[in-house]
Amino acid sequence: MTEVKVKKESTDPVDIENRIKELCLQFPHGITDQVIQNDMPHVEVQQRAMAINRLLSVGQLDLLKNSNGLLYRLKDAQSASKVKGSDNQEKLVYQIIEDAGNKGIWTRDIRYKSNLPLTEINKILKNLESKKLIKAVKSVAASKKKVYMLYNLQPDRSVTGGAWYSDQDFESEFVEVLNQQCFKFLQSKAEAARDSKQSPMVQRNSSLATSHEVWKYICELGISKVDLSMEDIETILNTLIFDGKVEMTIIAAKEGTVGSVDGQMKLYRGVNPIIQPTGLVKTPCGLCPVTF
Amino acid sequence: MTAQEVRLCGLLLQEHFGDVVEKVGTHLICSGVLTLRALAHETKLPLDLVKKSLCVLMQHGMCAFGAGRRGPAGPVEYHIICEHILHMLRYPRYIYTAKSLYGDTGELIVEEILQSGQMTMSSTVKTVADRLTHNMPEGQSMDYSEVVSAFSRLVETHFLQRCPPMASAGSSSSGAVNTPLPAVTQPTKPEDHPECYRLPYINLTGQGKRRRSSEDGEAEQRAAKKAKTDNSERGDEGIYWQVNFQRFHLHFRDQAIISAVSCKLDQASSEIVRTMLRMSEVTTPAHAAFTQALSANEIFRAFPSSYNIARPILDQYLTLLVDDPMEFVGRTGDSGGGMYVVNLHRALANLARATLESVVQERFGSRSARIFRLLLRKRHLEQKQVEDFAMVPAKEAKYMLYTLLSENLVQLQEIPKTPDYAPSRTFYLYTVNQLPTARLLLQHCYKTVGNLIERRLYETKENKRLLEKSQRIEAILASLQATGAEAAQLTEVEEMITAPERQQLETLRHHINKLDSSENQVDETIFLLESYINSTQAPP
Repeated sequence: MTEVKVKKESTDPVDIENRIKELCLQFPHGITDQVIQNDMPHVEVQQRAMAINRLLSVGQLDLLKNSNGLLYRLKDAQSASKVKGSDNQEKLVYQIIEDAGNKGIWTRDIRYKSNLPLTEINKILKNLESKKLIKAVKSVAASKKKVYMLYNLQPDRSVTGGAWYSDQDFESEFVEVLNQQCFKFLQSKAEAARDSKQSPMVQRNSSLATSHEVWKYICELGISKVDLSMEDIETILNTLIFDGKVEMTIIAAKEGTVGSVDGQMKLYRGVNPIIQPTGLVKTPCGLCPVTF
Repeated sequence: MTAQEVRLCGLLLQEHFGDVVEKVGTHLICSGVLTLRALAHETKLPLDLVKKSLCVLMQHGMCAFGAGRRGPAGPVEYHIICEHILHMLRYPRYIYTAKSLYGDTGELIVEEILQSGQMTMSSTVKTVADRLTHNMPEGQSMDYSEVVSAFSRLVETHFLQRCPPMASAGSSSSGAVNTPLPAVTQPTKPEDHPECYRLPYINLTGQGKRRRSSEDGEAEQRAAKKAKTDNSERGDEGIYWQVNFQRFHLHFRDQAIISAVSCKLDQASSEIVRTMLRMSEVTTPAHAAFTQALSANEIFRAFPSSYNIARPILDQYLTLLVDDPMEFVGRTGDSGGGMYVVNLHRALANLARATLESVVQERFGSRSARIFRLLLRKRHLEQKQVEDFAMVPAKEAKYMLYTLLSENLVQLQEIPKTPDYAPSRTFYLYTVNQLPTARLLLQHCYKTVGNLIERRLYETKENKRLLEKSQRIEAILASLQATGAEAAQLTEVEEMITAPERQQLETLRHHINKLDSSENQVDETIFLLESYINSTQAPP
C-alpha cells in the first residue's frame, strides 16, 4: 500500500494574503478575524497575524474597529497607490483629514487625534500639501484659522460662508443690490395692487408675493453670478423685514404647490412706515449753517 | 423729577411768569412739599412776593395745597404738579386743535382760558366777543350768543371743565358740605365732582364792544372795573372753568393712531378707525386699554355718508384691519355682525416703537436701525447671530453694536456657563428693552427742548439792542400814521433802520421761528413717549 500522502496545503504566506484579499472582495464591508479563521482553519494564528500585518503595512488592507471587534477591509486600489511612499505618520494624518470630510479639520484637532508633536504635524502637513493630497481652506469665522481637507473636496458652506462670501470677504454690495431689487419688486407689486382699485381684500392679496416668486424674479434678473437658493432669498427678505419695509405672513399651503416648504408658504408685501421721522430728530443742531 | 425736567420747568416758568415765580417754583419742585414760611425762608424772598407767586401758580393749576404733616391743625403745605408746568409746552397745540375743531371762536376761548388759568364763563364770553369784534370790519360785531354756543360745545365734548371746588371753612355758593381739607397726597380730581360738565344758567345777552384806539387807556380801566361789578350780576360767580388737558391728550392720541393707520393701510381704513374712535370718545375711560366694543352694524350706521362704502366692503376693511400685524383693531365677538375694539395700548406701544426706530435711524444710519429692529424682534441675540441675520459685515456690525451700547440704547445680558464669570465661558447676548429706552429718549427730549429755549433766549439777548430799536421805530411809525403824516416823513422814519440791520432782523426772526417750530416738533415726540409710558403704568 502506498502511503497516502496528504498534500499539505501550502502555507505560503503569499497564498494566505491572496486568500484574505479574495475574502475581502467577497465581503466588501469588511471581514473579521473569525471569518478568516473559518475559511482557512489550518492556518495558524501566528501565520495569519503575519499575513494581516504584511497587508496592512503594504497598505492594501484597512483596519477598522466596530463594536464587535476588528474588521479588515480591502483598501481602494486608487487611494492605496496614493499614499504609497509615505510613511506611517503621514498615512495617519492623511487618514484623520480624510475622516473630517468636507468640513475640514484644524491643526490642533489633528494633534489631539494623532498624539503627534506639533513640529511633526507641521512637517507632515507641508509634505502632504506639496504632494497635492490636501489643501488649506481659510475659515470665514476666524480669518486666522486654517482648516485642512482633501484636495478634491468642496469646502462646506459653514466654512466658506455660502453664497454671500467670495474669498472670505463678505460681499456687502451684492447683498445691498439684492436687497434693493427685492424691495423694488415688492413695492411695484403693492403699487399695482393699490392702483387696481378693486375691493380691499383682492388688493391686499394681489400685493402679496411668495418667496418662490421673488426667487424666480431674482434668478431671471440675472444679477447674481452665484446660484441662489430659496433660503438665500429668504434671508435677504428677512433683512428687508428688519429694515421695516416689508412684512411677512405665513399661510398653510397644500403640499406640492410650487414653493411650499413643509406645508407652509411665506408671503411678503411692501409696507409704508407708520410714522414720519419723529420731531426729536428734526431739531437743528445749532452748529450747522444749513438750518440757519 | 429728573434734573432735565426741573431745568425745563424753570425755563418755562421764567418765560411765562417771570423770575420770582421761577425761583419759587423751582425751589418747590426740588424740595417736594413745603410750608409757606419754610419756602419764604429758603428762597430768601419777601413773604408777600412768595404769596403772590403761589397764587399765580395755583391759578394755573400748577400748585396744590393741602393739610400738612401735622394734620389739619398745622400749617398748610404746598407742592407743585410738574406735569402741568410741562403742559405749557403744548399750549400752541391745544389752541390749534380748538381752532381746527371749533373755528376762531373756539380758538380764542381756549386761548383766553389758558392765559388766565381759570375763568368764569361770562368773563370769557365777553373778552372773546370783544376780541373778535375788534378784528371784524367796521359796523359788525360779534354776538354773545355765538360765543356762548361755541363755549357750550366745548363743554359738551369735555374739552373744558369746571375747576374742582375748594372745600373751604365757610359755606360756598354751590352748597358744598363742610369737608375738611383734603390731604396733600390726594388731590380731588375734577371728574369727581358730579357737575363737572354742567353749564351754569347765565343771563348774558349783548354784543362785543369795539375798542376805539383813542380811548385805549381809559376803556381798559373802565372795562376792568366793569368786569368786577358785572360778575355779580351774571349769576355764575364762583364757577370757574379750566381746560381739560386730559381730553386734549386723548384727542391727540386718537389723531396719532388715525394718521398711523392711514400711512400703513389706506384712507378708507383710517376713516373707519376715526369713526370708531369718535363713537367711543366720551364712553371710554381715560386709561382704558381698549375702546368700548362696537358692532359692525353700528359702525356702518355711524359712517359719514360722504364716503359711500357698501356693507360687505366695510366688513372686508374691518377684517384687513384685524389681520394687520400692527393690531390696531381687534375683534372681540361675533354678535351684531362682529364686535370690534381699537387696541389703544398696543397702538401706543407700536407708535413708541416706531419713534425709537426712527430716532436710531436718523442718528446712526439705516444699518444700525436694521440691527436695532432685529434686536427688538428677536429679543436676545449673540454677536454672531446679529451679523448673520442683519447681513452686515462682521467688523461693521461690531462697531455699530458698540456705538448703540455706549448710547445705552442696547443692553448686554451675560449668561455664564460657569459660576465664575470667566469671559471665555460666558454668553453675551444683546437685547433691547422698549420701556427703559423710551424713558431714556424722553429725558433726551426734555433736554433738547431746554436747549432750544435757552438758545432762543440767547439769540434774543444778543440782538436786544436791535430789537428794541425796531420796536421803537414801529411805534413811531404807528403813531405817525394815526395822526396822518405825509409819506415823506414815513419813509424818513423807515430809513432809520439801515439795510444790513434789516437783514439781520430778518435772519433773527427766521432763527427764532425755526427754534420755536422745532420746540413744537419735539413736543410731539414727548407726547407720544409720555402717553406710552403712562399707558404701561397701572391706572391710579
